[in-house]
Amino acid sequence: MPRYVERFDTKERILHWFVAASFLTLLLSGLGLYSRLFHGYFDLFGGGQGAILVHKVAGVVFFAASLLLFFGHFREMNSFDADDRVWFRTLGGYLSKNPEHIESGKFNAGQKAFGIFMGIATLLLGITGLINWFPLSFPRAIVQLSLLVHGLLFVLFVMMMVVHVYLTTIGNPGTLEGMLYGNVRRIWARKHHPKWYKEVEGK
Amino acid sequence: MAQLRTGFLVDASRCIGCRSCQVACKEWNRLEADKTTNQGTFENPRDLTPNLYNRIQFIEKADDKGAVTWRFVNQRCLHCGDAGCMKVCPSPGALYRTKDGIVGFDKEKCIACKYCVSACPFDVPRYGPDDKVSKCHLCLDRIGAGMVPACAKACPTQTLQFGGRDALIAKAKGAGKTLYGENDLAGLGVLYALEGKPEEYGLPSDPSIPAAIFLWKDVLKPLGILGFWGSVAAAVLHYVTFGSRPPEEDGEGKGGDAHA
Repeated sequence: MPRYVERFDTKERILHWFVAASFLTLLLSGLGLYSRLFHGYFDLFGGGQGAILVHKVAGVVFFAASLLLFFGHFREMNSFDADDRVWFRTLGGYLSKNPEHIESGKFNAGQKAFGIFMGIATLLLGITGLINWFPLSFPRAIVQLSLLVHGLLFVLFVMMMVVHVYLTTIGNPGTLEGMLYGNVRRIWARKHHPKWYKEVEGK
Repeated sequence: MAQLRTGFLVDASRCIGCRSCQVACKEWNRLEADKTTNQGTFENPRDLTPNLYNRIQFIEKADDKGAVTWRFVNQRCLHCGDAGCMKVCPSPGALYRTKDGIVGFDKEKCIACKYCVSACPFDVPRYGPDDKVSKCHLCLDRIGAGMVPACAKACPTQTLQFGGRDALIAKAKGAGKTLYGENDLAGLGVLYALEGKPEEYGLPSDPSIPAAIFLWKDVLKPLGILGFWGSVAAAVLHYVTFGSRPPEEDGEGKGGDAHA
């Protein structure tokens, strides 16, 4: 019996890292636009105008890659069952030292909710980003609102990223392997996604 | 700063709509003419442009008997004490305040984000083909050389009165004028003496920084920074209290959820 099971295929992994790299670029180039406090980050791009140019290019890449990733998993994410309700009730057992058994599928309820947030946030960030890109082509009230919504989603997005990175690295050792190499250990799959593991084994 | 602030008093009752201010501004600042079309009004151009830092609005008003009155009002950057444009500008020095309270701009430092266009309470900043901010800078080069701004120099009726802000306020109040902008937005650098409601002159009655801009800069910005560090703190706290969840190597160990 092989020690590993496949979790993400090459296409999914490449897409994920495109999203990650473009996100990081957007973060670094956008910080100075969010507030003058972070003006120093402009220097990474040779000044504010360079940062804006990079932000626009990275924004297009991110928008396309993130939406592709989202729609590639739309069916898996948009299917909450009774086990997912248990996950939400117990918050995935994350606030317990001795969590009860949860029958999660390939993605648990938290991951599904995260995926849906990512999809909606990407769409809204893209729309508001486009409005902010051409502010003279829209009514002032729309642009003002768009700037606020873009900033709000950015904040929520970054907070989600902190949680995402924590949970997929030191929070749950073994998770990152799936996104780096495509395969996860059997014992990892059995522990975190028992329902999915049984499906894979059953094949 | 307050006692040093200089600015304008625009006494609307004195304006005859000659537009000397428009022309003088263009001459001094070497701004090209805008090609306009006849739209059946003496008002020309119909809005501020990247080449037009100030202009006279011609406001026609008919009373009950059908008699028509004309009102003229000078439109320009009002050099707010609490300036929305400066609040949002991400490029230090692109919009700056001089020691006498004037809001100047530096095209070299402008990064063309156009946030100032959205944040201005009076819809003043304009962007031209050079994709850089432009607006009235109160001829701060002239002021620096001890001269009066070009528009005020050219004004034949003393509608545009340039001087120390406090002195202008005291003078207007002494003459029984109704002032606009004395306390709004931490005091406007350009004050109006109006003979009616501000709306009748195309001015907002209660000027303020647009709500969405205020929420972004004064609410979201601090909360966002708090939210980021809060998330990091929560992750660290979780790690040291509940700990990570490694897959057990023996597969049947503690933790419960490995039991098949």
